[in-house]
Parts: sequence; C-alpha cells; structure tokens
Amino acid sequence: MSFGRFVLKRSLQGLGVVWGVVTVVFALRFVTPGSPINAVAPLDASPETRQAIATELGLDQPLYIQYGQYLFKLLQGDMGFSYIRGQEVVGLVFGRLPATVELALAASIVAIALSIPLGVLSATRRNEPIDYGATLLSLGGISTPNFWLGIMLILVFAVEFNVFNTSGRGVDVGDVALSLVGSEPFFGTLLAWLAYITLPAIALGTYFMALITRLTRSGMLDELSKGYVQAARAKGLPQTLIRYKHALRNTLIPVITVLGLQLGTLIGGAVITEAVFSWPGLGTLVIESINRRDWPVLQGSLIVIGTSFVLVNVLVDTVYAYLDPQVVND
Amino acid sequence: MLTYAGTAAAVGLAGCSGNGGDDGSSGDDGSSDDDGSSGDDGSGNGDDERFEIGVTMGQMDSGLDPQDHAETNTEIITGQAYEGLMDRDKVGGIVESLATDWERTDDGNVRFTLREDVSFHNGDALTAEDVAYSIRRIVDDEVGIVSPQSNDLGVIDEVIAGDGEVTVDFEGFNPIAFQLFATNGEVMQQSWVEENDGNYINQNTNGTGPFVVTEYDSGNEVVYEPNDDYWGGDVPVDELTMGASSESSTRVNRLLAEETDIITNVPPQEVSRVEESDVAGISSVPSARIIFLQMRYDVEPFSSQQFRQAMNYAVDVESIIENVLNGFGTITGQPTLEEHVGYNPDIDPYPYDPDEAERLVEESGFAGAEITLETPIGRYLGDVEIAQAAASQIDSLSNVSCELEQREFSSLVQDITTGNIEDKPHFNLLGWGNAEFDGSQTITPLMTSNGALTVLENEELDELIRQAENTEDADERVEFLQEANQLAHDLAPWVFLHQQFSVYGVSNDISWEPRSDEFIDPDTATRQ
Repeated sequence: MSFGRFVLKRSLQGLGVVWGVVTVVFALRFVTPGSPINAVAPLDASPETRQAIATELGLDQPLYIQYGQYLFKLLQGDMGFSYIRGQEVVGLVFGRLPATVELALAASIVAIALSIPLGVLSATRRNEPIDYGATLLSLGGISTPNFWLGIMLILVFAVEFNVFNTSGRGVDVGDVALSLVGSEPFFGTLLAWLAYITLPAIALGTYFMALITRLTRSGMLDELSKGYVQAARAKGLPQTLIRYKHALRNTLIPVITVLGLQLGTLIGGAVITEAVFSWPGLGTLVIESINRRDWPVLQGSLIVIGTSFVLVNVLVDTVYAYLDPQVVND
Repeated sequence: MLTYAGTAAAVGLAGCSGNGGDDGSSGDDGSSDDDGSSGDDGSGNGDDERFEIGVTMGQMDSGLDPQDHAETNTEIITGQAYEGLMDRDKVGGIVESLATDWERTDDGNVRFTLREDVSFHNGDALTAEDVAYSIRRIVDDEVGIVSPQSNDLGVIDEVIAGDGEVTVDFEGFNPIAFQLFATNGEVMQQSWVEENDGNYINQNTNGTGPFVVTEYDSGNEVVYEPNDDYWGGDVPVDELTMGASSESSTRVNRLLAEETDIITNVPPQEVSRVEESDVAGISSVPSARIIFLQMRYDVEPFSSQQFRQAMNYAVDVESIIENVLNGFGTITGQPTLEEHVGYNPDIDPYPYDPDEAERLVEESGFAGAEITLETPIGRYLGDVEIAQAAASQIDSLSNVSCELEQREFSSLVQDITTGNIEDKPHFNLLGWGNAEFDGSQTITPLMTSNGALTVLENEELDELIRQAENTEDADERVEFLQEANQLAHDLAPWVFLHQQFSVYGVSNDISWEPRSDEFIDPDTATRQ
C-alpha cells in the first residue's frame, strides 16, 4: 500500500468515527431523562406554552427528520441554534475552543518540561535518590485526582500566598501576543497570563507528567542496554552524547506518539479541571449544557472534542507511517 | 506576585474595543490597574466616588434577551441593563421604575404613567409604543418569540399605548396586576428588537438600566460600565463584572483572594471560612423560596389527611434548619411566606412530635406503610441532606418505613411537570420561588385542582382561591387567602419545611444589603 493510500484510508476511517460520534451524541438526547423544554419553560408553564416551545424548537418533528436535518446542516458547517442561550452553536463552541486548546498546550508544556529531564535523570541515575524521588513523584502524580490537586493548589498558592489567581481566564495568550505590538506592557501582560494559567496547567498536566516520566525512564533504560550504546561507549564517545543524542532520541519516538494521543485526551478530559478553575473552555461549556439540557451545544461540543481526538490520531498515524514505512505495509 | 485582578485586566486589555469612549469620561482608562485587587482601586476615570465591583454567581446567563428566559441568574445579568415599569425594594415592596404612577381604571384594567426623559443606551427616547410592544412580545407568541414568561404577566387581551401612558387590558379582573408588573416585564426598544436577529439580541443589550454592557463573553463574564444618562442619577460603580463558578469552593476562594466582591449561594459548610476571614463576611436574607415535601392526595397512604399530618409531626424541621442549614432558614406551617400577601399569622408550624405522628398513622389505618421520598440532587440549598434527615426521622417512627431516592433534577422535574397527576411522584422534595410576593402565586399552581404542579384536589380550597381571584376588594382578598392558608395547613398536602435563605459572601471593601427576591443590585453598594 502506498503512503498516500494509507493516509486516505486512515482519514476515511476517521470520518467514519466522527459520523459515529455525531450519531451517538444525537441519539443520547432521546435516551436521557429530562426534556429540553423543562430547561426553557418555568415549572408552572401551561401545556400550551410547552407545546409552543416544542414547536418553535422543532422538537415535535419525527426523530429521523430531526436527525436528517441535523446531519444536512452539519455538513454545511451549521451546528444548530442553542434554544437556551438564543445563539448559534458554532459561535459558542468555537468561542470556547481556544481556551481549552491553550490550557491543553500549557499543561503539555508543563508536563514535557518536567517529565523528560526527570525521566532521563531517573534512568541514568538508577537506584539513586533522584531515581527514587522521580518514581515517588510520578506515582503521586498518577494517583492524585486532578480536581483535588486543583483545589489544594488554589488554597495554597492563590488564597494563602496570593501568588496566582484562583480561577478564570482574565488574560489569554492572544493578549500576550498583542502586547508585543500594542500599547500594553509585554512583561506585565505575560505575568498576568501566567497568574491565570499556571495552576490549572499544573493541575491538568500532573498526570500527564507522571506518565511521560515513567515512559521516558523505561525507554531510556531499554535503549541504554542496547548493543549500539555499548558500541558507542566502546568507541569512546562521551556519555552526554550517547545519552542525549542517541539513546534519548530513540526513546522519544514512542514518547511523541503518546504525547500526540494525550493531547487529544487533554482537550476532551479537561472538563473537571476547567470546572474547578472556572476556566471558560469546552469542558465548562459541556457541564453547563448538560445542566441546562442544551442539547445543540452539547452535541456541538462533543463533536468538536471527538473530531479533535480523531484528527490528532490520524496525524499521529500519518507521522508514524512517514517515520516507519513498515507501518504502511502492516 | 503574579496575582492579577480579572476586572482590571479585562478593562485594560479590551479598552481599545469595548468602551468606545464616545465621551472620553470612562472609555480609555483602567489599563494601569494591575495591582491585583478588584475592590480597592477603581479610580481610573478620575472620579474618586466610583469603584469597581465584581459579582460571582453559580451559573452565567442563558443569553441577554430579557424576555426569553426563565432563570434567576439570567434575570440578574440582564436586569443590570433592562428595567420594567415597576420594581421592588430590598424587602419586596413595590417601587417606581419606568412608570412613575399606576392606577386601576374604572373597567378594572391598569394604566401606567411613564417616566419622562428616559432613554435607551443607544440614546433613543423611551416611548409608550416601546412599552406596549415589550408587553406584547412577552404574552403574544405571534410577536417575535415564544417567551417562557408568557404566563408571568397574567392573561392580557390588549395593550394600548397612549400619550406618555400605557393601558393594559386584562382578560377579566386581575387582582395582582401590579405585583406581576413589579417582578416581570422588562422593556426593550421596539425598533432595536425588530432590526436585529435573536443571535444579536442575545449577545448585546439596549436597555434603560443603570449599567451598559461593554463586553459579553458568553458563559464566562459580562462587563458593564455605568449608564451616564441613567434617570436614577449617578451610578456609584465605575465598572461591574459579573462572572460565575459552579463550584461553591471556587466562589469562596475567589472572595477570600479578593478577586470578587459578592458571591452567591455560600453553602453552610463554607460559612465559617468566610466569617473567620479578615476580608469578607456573610450577608443573608430570607428569600421568596419555600422548601417542602409534596404528598399526592390520590395514592395510599397519602390519601389520608391524618397520615399527611403525621408526616408533618414526624419531621423535626427546627433541627434540620439548625444542623443542616446552619440556621439559614425559617420554619413554615403554610404555603404563604410571612412577607407575602395572604400570610396567616395565626397558623403555627406543626411541632415535632413523633408520638403524635405514630398515633395519627395508626388512626389513618396505614400503619406499616412503606414510602419513598424522592429528592433532587443539588437543586436547592442542602436538598439531599434535608431529604436524608426527613426520611430518617420518618423512618424512625415505629409504624412507617421510609426510603430515600436521589434523582437528577431535570429527570424529577419531568415527572413533576407532567400534566397528569397519575404520573407524578407520590412523595418528593421541591422548592418554589414566589417572586410576586403574593400567596396565590404559590397556592394556585401547587395546590388547586388545575394547578400545573398540584398534588391536591379540594373543592373548598379551589373555591377560596377563585373568590380571592375575583374580588376587587384587597382586604377581602387577603381574608380569602388567609383562610386558604389555614385550610392548606390542615389538609397538609405538604410536609411544610422552611423558607430558604439567600446566603451571600460580601467583601469588607463594600457595603451591600441583599434583596429578598434574589436579584442582585450592585448599584446600591457603597464603598467602605
């Protein structure tokens, strides 16, 4: 199979998954208790008012017609209209997406910046205090629920020491970029951005950090025991060169694969962290939409999250196939 | 220190697009306010009297159309920019707003005299046609939207715009017309509504209220500046920011970190943390919401009046208020709250008397009954804990066993709002907010035979309410309602629990008193 055909096949499979997501999410509305009308109408609304609202929202149409109309509009980029908020779903969902992507990337940066050096140190100084420390830290990171960690970080660093903001997103990365050319002071804006994003990024990135630390450690140990490393040592190459140019480079291939996959997970899995920090991303939008039975917004959010995940997977597969042609033939 | 105040940041970074600055008085300031405290700077426009204020609620709005929602949070957010003909004071009394005078006409309709020199935020003058259009848009499905508030102004036949006045022609006599208009009926500009689509109207405002929206970040934050042409005079707040956090601990943390000035719904377990801090305190007020356990009259064992009364004797409401709600509640014994029209001062709540409860159960013939109490989760302050305590106290009777079933609110409400009484839960916890401050607005929907949420059918009660609705004599009406309350107490279709309190955390930087109708009015706050 050629590389092009492989990419096409993976993309079509991805589209199939997205269609499945759309269908499942649409069907969920009809098996979940609680009518959307109850979210719009007051408790004592008359049956006539309820019927009028149902008609206005198109909820009195047969299921297959609602599904067909939804798919048709979706293909045109129309995710529908939020009857709760009276706004276009596309605007609401894509208005929240940057905040979630920003948080996911920041969490990834925090995780990578800590985990790879820690993993390498842990592997190269095996059974030394730093190895035990890194192992303890990664075990703690994997087993600590991020909502608890988030609350603790807020209590200590925001309420007690007043170093960071407790919640919200008063400044975004776009503001930081604009301050480079605008009238706002760059350094002040950067600090303001850090005040908002640091704690949620740590809370969200800790599990990820722990995972990559373990992966890097085991990968490095594996590589360092291989023959080519022994050959390099025998040739008299410096340890630093062997570890960081050869062994680490080979270790990073599976690490990068996991990084890509985890980024998709972070976009979809930031729901709890976003709620704890009142971060105005897709996660909080999903929670608000569930609470309000705002199905069009919930569907739109889940479709975007699902599509992001599929997209990242297809990209990772493509990169992998490019790096290792055997994958194409398999 | 990295801490950064959201309000200051928002102004500073959005100054180029948000404020416009058409008069130069407040549009280009605030950018240097990066000192980390939201409540103590606020002097950016050079007016030392004004200050910034931040409010954090549990949930944001569902769009900015003031007539297309049925939620308290949305009402609070849109209510900063929009106003009705009448308003309420801190304790629920009726006061002037866009109308300066109101009267009954000879044929029983109501006439409002409009305030002069009121303008919308876009500078256009308020007209009687705008008021008439706004009322029609709420009550008439053919005018613009199907408003969820269509029942909130009563059944209206016609709205007539006159010279500086508006006459509302009700279908029949409406004894609570002014109560309805004091709570509902925000006024919008007809031409502005007709020129814009729903998407725009839900993200922008053009009202007459004390604040003008400068930034709207849906579901996240709304920023306002004072309306410099406000008919009510100078607004003391330089900038108002309304945000939300669904996590109560996050709201409390925001308050204690001095990132916001007012937070809503402080849970009982967090009260001491706020009270013990140096930066904030607790401010509470009895709300217009009553909490109770509904019992369906048509199913055994609740078909027995004695059994229903026994349930009232079995639940120790005082103890629940003290231990579950930290004292933030008032025991009730009738469906009408003390501050509301029709309250009967002669009715005492059922005392906690398990022996009497057991005796009544025996008398009812339902000894050994097994019942299940259904409760929503997280809808009302301490709802699950209250239901657990009540179910446990009932279960401790020697001749009744009671289980608890926790249900997601939207699922429970689906059953409660069904048109058929046969489909409703037998025994459930519910809360009811009566924003009109009139007893009929609780008894009619919840206890009369045709009420949307009723669990009772009693001809005598129906007749009392019918008489109360038809009399034009206000004193006589109060007597009918008091009689209805006495009958409701005796019939006991509910286990009467308590009047819920609204509990706010308020920064020590400001002085602000909450309103009993749950509306938040930051324009009445003063700087300490």
